[in-house]
Amino acid sequence: MIHPSQRPAAEEAFSADLLRGHTDTIVLATLRRGDRYGFEIYKTIRDATGGTHEIKEATLYATYRRLAKDGLVEAYWGDESQGGRRKYYRITDAGRAVFRRNVAAWVATRDVVDTLLLTDKEPRS
Amino acid sequence: MTAVHRLLDDAFAGVELTAEVQDLKEEIRTNLVARAAEIEAAGTAPSEAARRAVDELGELHAVIADAAGTMEPDAPTGSRSSPVAYTSTAQAVLANRVRPRPAFVVSLVIAAAGTAALLVLIVLGLSGVLAAPVGGLAGWVLGAGLGTGWIVGSSLAQETTTRHPAPAPRAAGYGLAAGLVVVGLGFVGVAVTSGQLWLTVLAAPSVVAGAALFAGLGATQTNRRKAWFREVVSAHGTVGDRFDRDPQAAARFGILTVVIWVAAFVAFVVGGSTLGWAWAWLALVVGWIGFMLLLVRMLFGGHER
Repeated sequence: MIHPSQRPAAEEAFSADLLRGHTDTIVLATLRRGDRYGFEIYKTIRDATGGTHEIKEATLYATYRRLAKDGLVEAYWGDESQGGRRKYYRITDAGRAVFRRNVAAWVATRDVVDTLLLTDKEPRS
Repeated sequence: MTAVHRLLDDAFAGVELTAEVQDLKEEIRTNLVARAAEIEAAGTAPSEAARRAVDELGELHAVIADAAGTMEPDAPTGSRSSPVAYTSTAQAVLANRVRPRPAFVVSLVIAAAGTAALLVLIVLGLSGVLAAPVGGLAGWVLGAGLGTGWIVGSSLAQETTTRHPAPAPRAAGYGLAAGLVVVGLGFVGVAVTSGQLWLTVLAAPSVVAGAALFAGLGATQTNRRKAWFREVVSAHGTVGDRFDRDPQAAARFGILTVVIWVAAFVAFVVGGSTLGWAWAWLALVVGWIGFMLLLVRMLFGGHER
């Protein structure tokens, strides 16, 4: 959790690498609520981090291609709209299953790291 | 927005515009236009907004090279390393093997046995071999529908070696559809044999709802195959039986199967009534041999193309 207003130091300490390591799962998470096109996905991630952190769009394009190749998302061109036709992504059943597994793995890992680093015992300053 | 197009052309300069690269370029273009419009709305000049949107993109070389198919094999494409390359399909299957959960297997066997028993009772009841009241028959039909629905739903919710589990709502939907169809058809049978035609009022909506649910679920079905399996399929193209890969072979098989069995049956009846029934059954044996040869030829035969 980031609280930039209360803890300005957390912003600098924020691990962008750690965030990037979960790009696949994060993209799958944004698609769980409905189909989106690239910029919407990018915006959702940017807004979720309070606008201070982002995953580069170039990284996201590589992610979309990999997810589509693995059958975790399906791409399709939407109807004409302002700004031209957009390429939308839809999560597949395989994508939902992988998402659930990755979330379970993340929660388990987070708990172990929390325990090892004793963050849950230390008083917050 | 012409600035966006020009800047994007620069980024794709020198890359052969295959269909895949063109597709990627078009996708990036529409997203860039959206982002530039957002920056512009915050009060920036259009050309400056376009430049900033392109700058924000990040390093595009790797993804363009990937789309163009000109990437070095070990070039990083993102956060995850490339999947393991398997030397054979058997090795891939072994490495990704998922054993069924024992509790599921046990409950499946019990449910299948119970449902099969109910179906036998229903058939005996409907054919009049077993004297069963309409209420009893209806109860068996409901039980068989419940059993079928549970078997279908819980099977789909299982992870297998080659497929991810279906999400719970979708698995439940398929189970419900299967149950509805079985119950509906069962009620039709009870209505026709018992003469209680009012039962059709229950049966028809059940069958229609089940079929509609099947159609809806089928139309919205997305991929469930695992990544490794898709990889092996695209690399070797020989996973799964021939009917999976060649729908025309499956259609041919269906037609030839009907032809063989109709011919065998006609030969059985004609032979039986003219030459005597003692040897007429041989026609069915010949039909069966022909059918098995056809199956072998269709499944394991070489490629005709």
